[in-house]
Amino acid sequence: MSPDVLAGIAQASGFLVLLTTAVGVFIGLTVGMIPGMTISTGIIILLPVTFVLPADISIALLLGLYVGGMTGGSFSAVLLNIPGTPSASATALDGYPMSKRGEAGRALGIAITSSFIGGMVSFLCLLFIAPLLADVALSFRTEDMFALVFFGITIICSFAAQSLVKGLLSGAIGLAIVTVGLDPVMGSQRFTFGQVNLMGGIHFLTAMIGLFAIPQLVSNLADTTSARRIQTKLKSVLPRLADLRAIRMPVTIGSLIGAFLGILPGAGGPIAAFISYDYVRRLSKRGEDFGKGAIEGVAAPESANNAVTGGALIPMMTLGIPGDPVTAILIGALIIHGLAPGPLMFTERGDFAFGLIFSFFWANIFNFIIALTALRLLVKLLATPRALLMPTVAVLCVIGSFALRNNFFDVYMMLFFGLVGLAMRWLDMPVVPLLLALVLGVPLEENLRVALTSSQGDISIFFSSPISVAFLSLSALSIIWALRSARRRRKSAQSFTKENSS
Amino acid sequence: MRHRNIIAALVLLALGVGYGIFTSQLPVRSLPDTPGPPFFPWINTIVILALSATLLIQGLMQGQADEPVPPPAAGRQRAIWALGVFVVYLAILPGFGFILATAPFFAALMVLFGEVRPLRVAAGAIIATGLLYLLFRHGFSVFLPTGLLKGIVP
Repeated sequence: MSPDVLAGIAQASGFLVLLTTAVGVFIGLTVGMIPGMTISTGIIILLPVTFVLPADISIALLLGLYVGGMTGGSFSAVLLNIPGTPSASATALDGYPMSKRGEAGRALGIAITSSFIGGMVSFLCLLFIAPLLADVALSFRTEDMFALVFFGITIICSFAAQSLVKGLLSGAIGLAIVTVGLDPVMGSQRFTFGQVNLMGGIHFLTAMIGLFAIPQLVSNLADTTSARRIQTKLKSVLPRLADLRAIRMPVTIGSLIGAFLGILPGAGGPIAAFISYDYVRRLSKRGEDFGKGAIEGVAAPESANNAVTGGALIPMMTLGIPGDPVTAILIGALIIHGLAPGPLMFTERGDFAFGLIFSFFWANIFNFIIALTALRLLVKLLATPRALLMPTVAVLCVIGSFALRNNFFDVYMMLFFGLVGLAMRWLDMPVVPLLLALVLGVPLEENLRVALTSSQGDISIFFSSPISVAFLSLSALSIIWALRSARRRRKSAQSFTKENSS
Repeated sequence: MRHRNIIAALVLLALGVGYGIFTSQLPVRSLPDTPGPPFFPWINTIVILALSATLLIQGLMQGQADEPVPPPAAGRQRAIWALGVFVVYLAILPGFGFILATAPFFAALMVLFGEVRPLRVAAGAIIATGLLYLLFRHGFSVFLPTGLLKGIVP
């Protein structure tokens, strides 16, 4: 076993790191199951806490939250028919009918077990694929890196669910925001307007807090779903042997689909959950029972959405490309701690890279144990009054942006971005592309300009390397795919309108 | 949705033009045949303008589709109040300090989120503010401002 792997195991298995992982999982389970709170928001408001903690403890806390949040989302999906996270939407299809027939404990037990298996499968993928991919990525030159980051940017297309143009515009605004401050190549001031506070640029964390948390707080003011009755009395949660036998196939399929789609940037938990649900339903002999409370309908999406987590960490750790909003925020967290995710992470800080992978392993173990043993307590937390929870989140947003540099300017920027987020919501513009652009904007510009400088302005440099050509081709495919999907969506919407009017 | 697309397009066109104007004022410090500081912002300007124009054309050509259902009036009003309270909070925070500014802000948000029992509002606001202050100021060494309570609270 390589020394880095051993150092990683030792790092992830220290008492404090284990304790923090468990705390992160508990917070994640709570955040995930509360409707109106997303994993992204949870991580964003927890980030300031990590500023004073060492990097290994911080990342263990955040990974615990990520893993726990995915499972927690299923609790409210099963008990309230309100998915705590978008990834748990498919779980509600069969989980809630089970809950209505008085089998909430059984549904939750299956969800927790399936999540655990999905998480462990994705851990194995992460452990074996990530170092190999990092080795390949080490040979990348500047032009290849530009093409890779450009490919990451085209992921924006897949997040532009309603309108491709609006998604791209959101990304372009993000790229414009990252140009504020010192230019990354020559150090010239750009768009600072004489403001000292703008010289360091707009910190992506202030933008993230504003863009994600403020619109969510505001939308929660109009939401009344928390008033529903919650079934807090649960019978046995431990899955029966017969149930375990029945979910073997759905869990295997869900885990593999989830891990694979997690690696593909942009796919994410909700897509993996629905694809595996649909696939298992079609393969099942009892397909007609799906939607009426079939345990396979809970197992497949739950294993898939937890398998996504490890898969999404692969491009994040090896290429520095976020696969979803949560990994984009995790990249930010690593950068705050002076660690740049990318191929060099495995050579320069191999111990930390493997420590992160084994923290992910422990997060899955704790997730299984805590979710099963503390389920009744967690379900009671679902009844936490929103009147207490949401003001706390608001104050944490303020503290989070202030703690970044002990500066009120960042707090005001956070509010500004909150208003931008609200305006974008009103104009039906997706926020996630802007977030991805904030993370990828600087490396995109830096690699583009360095490559062009080395070729003295000759753009053929981007077509001189097979790696660069491959990524640029993938980018073109990604855009074409998004355009075709948009056209298909428009056509089906038109035919739906025609059918309705006739 | 059509009106919103047109509004979005017009706002972003204006933003693109403004961004372009500021880009044109950036100092051109560069070696021959190499991209300088304004290079990337110019690409951005072109992309924003082109996409905004496309959105505007799409909006103008779009039929009168169904408008999204707005949130209930009460919810909208509460949201506006919440934003107003937020702005006031941030305005008084540096002068008043964390504790004196946060407690009434917290209480106001509790009321907006539906808690109307005065005792619970007061207790919730004071206890939560105190706990958050202690946790972050002393637990995580965040220098939350003490403001008017300087010298009184640790």
